[in-house]
Amino acid sequence: MTTRRFLMNAGRTSKQGVQINVGKDHAEYQAIVNTVTMHPDDLKELGVAVGGTIRVRTEWGETTFQCQEGKVPVGMIFVPYGPPTCRLMGGGTDGTGMPTSKGWEVEVEKV
Amino acid sequence: MGGKVSCTLGEVKNRADLIIYWGGNPAECHPRHFTKYTIMQKGKYVPNGRKDRTMVLVDIRETPSAKAADIFLQVRPTKDFEVITLLRAMIKDQPVDEAAVAETGLSLEQLRDLVARMKACKFGVFFFGMGLSMTRGKHMNSAALLTLAAEMNAFTKFVAMPMRGHGNVTGGDVILRYTTGYPFGISLSRGYPRFNPGEFSTIDLLIRGDCDAALILGADPGATMPQPAIEHLKRIPTIVLDPKVTHTSRLARVHITTAATGISAGGTVYRMDEIPLPLRPPLKGPYPTDEEVIRRIREAVAKKADWMPGMNGVVAAA
Repeated sequence: MTTRRFLMNAGRTSKQGVQINVGKDHAEYQAIVNTVTMHPDDLKELGVAVGGTIRVRTEWGETTFQCQEGKVPVGMIFVPYGPPTCRLMGGGTDGTGMPTSKGWEVEVEKV
Repeated sequence: MGGKVSCTLGEVKNRADLIIYWGGNPAECHPRHFTKYTIMQKGKYVPNGRKDRTMVLVDIRETPSAKAADIFLQVRPTKDFEVITLLRAMIKDQPVDEAAVAETGLSLEQLRDLVARMKACKFGVFFFGMGLSMTRGKHMNSAALLTLAAEMNAFTKFVAMPMRGHGNVTGGDVILRYTTGYPFGISLSRGYPRFNPGEFSTIDLLIRGDCDAALILGADPGATMPQPAIEHLKRIPTIVLDPKVTHTSRLARVHITTAATGISAGGTVYRMDEIPLPLRPPLKGPYPTDEEVIRRIREAVAKKADWMPGMNGVVAAA
């Protein structure tokens, strides 16, 4: 099984913002926060098709995401904030009060 | 150097001719920002609107906001601090190392062009988002950008403003600032405010398990905080005030349904430029407001005997 290291970048999208107000139990919100965007070359290298599943692991936890391709640099995965990203975040704040939630290294493998 | 050189969004609308978004994606996260305040509006000193303004976007990926930008600068991830430091040197005509520039993912020409535009503008503004403040370097990145904005005032008018997130987070900061002197991460356990992010900030308290109860107002940490913090909220008596059922209300011992602010509850919210705006709720609802619930809890607590012998009526707020 190929495991590769990526830089994970969590953020916000307008669809996610709308769905937060509609309700976090809706299937659409669940789909948004469970989908990562990757560079097409990275998907090819991992052998994952669009709509395929990957497992993302950090030293604090792991979770699975569906994949879509998009405009992100090679070596980076973008995902909207949500319960799955919570499972990957550690408790360290570097004394700032804010956890690192952007640009952190993760291990990715095809499921 | 400390402090924030800032202004209101009205000033941006009427004066700003150079708008630099750094680590933010307003096209998705603040969809009215372009049209109401920054690039599209015709202002008193920018009468031709979009034609009188230049927009620069600095980010690590090409977001939908890049389509609105005149110049898009794609920085290598975690290199924002380095780019800002290079710009701070270049505005003062200090020599910079080309190899150091190359590491940032940008070219010297791109930085020279940006510096020339920054010095030539009449009113420049940095809007910075979580791409700057929540990546490696965190508050040091924000401090570097605020310092750059302050230093630019040796050449022209330049300001900086954070792109705040959810509704009224600015209000939380402003109120805590004028009541305690600090914006967040405050402990009142000794009866007077002490500020120490990393010690008294919410996530750190939860991770270490320092608190044995939690009162959550209008937030959903159960869907946003790191898992170890969520686990502690599950362990302790957590009370949630929220109009909706949320991830946090499900893990809480008590959920009090309150009126939705701005819809069935009035009040004041602070815009991201710290301008207070009154709310006029259009609907009436059956639920009490957050303020009413907190007032009633406070009154009930005040009727109880002092929690510590010899307090003589002095109640230590926590």
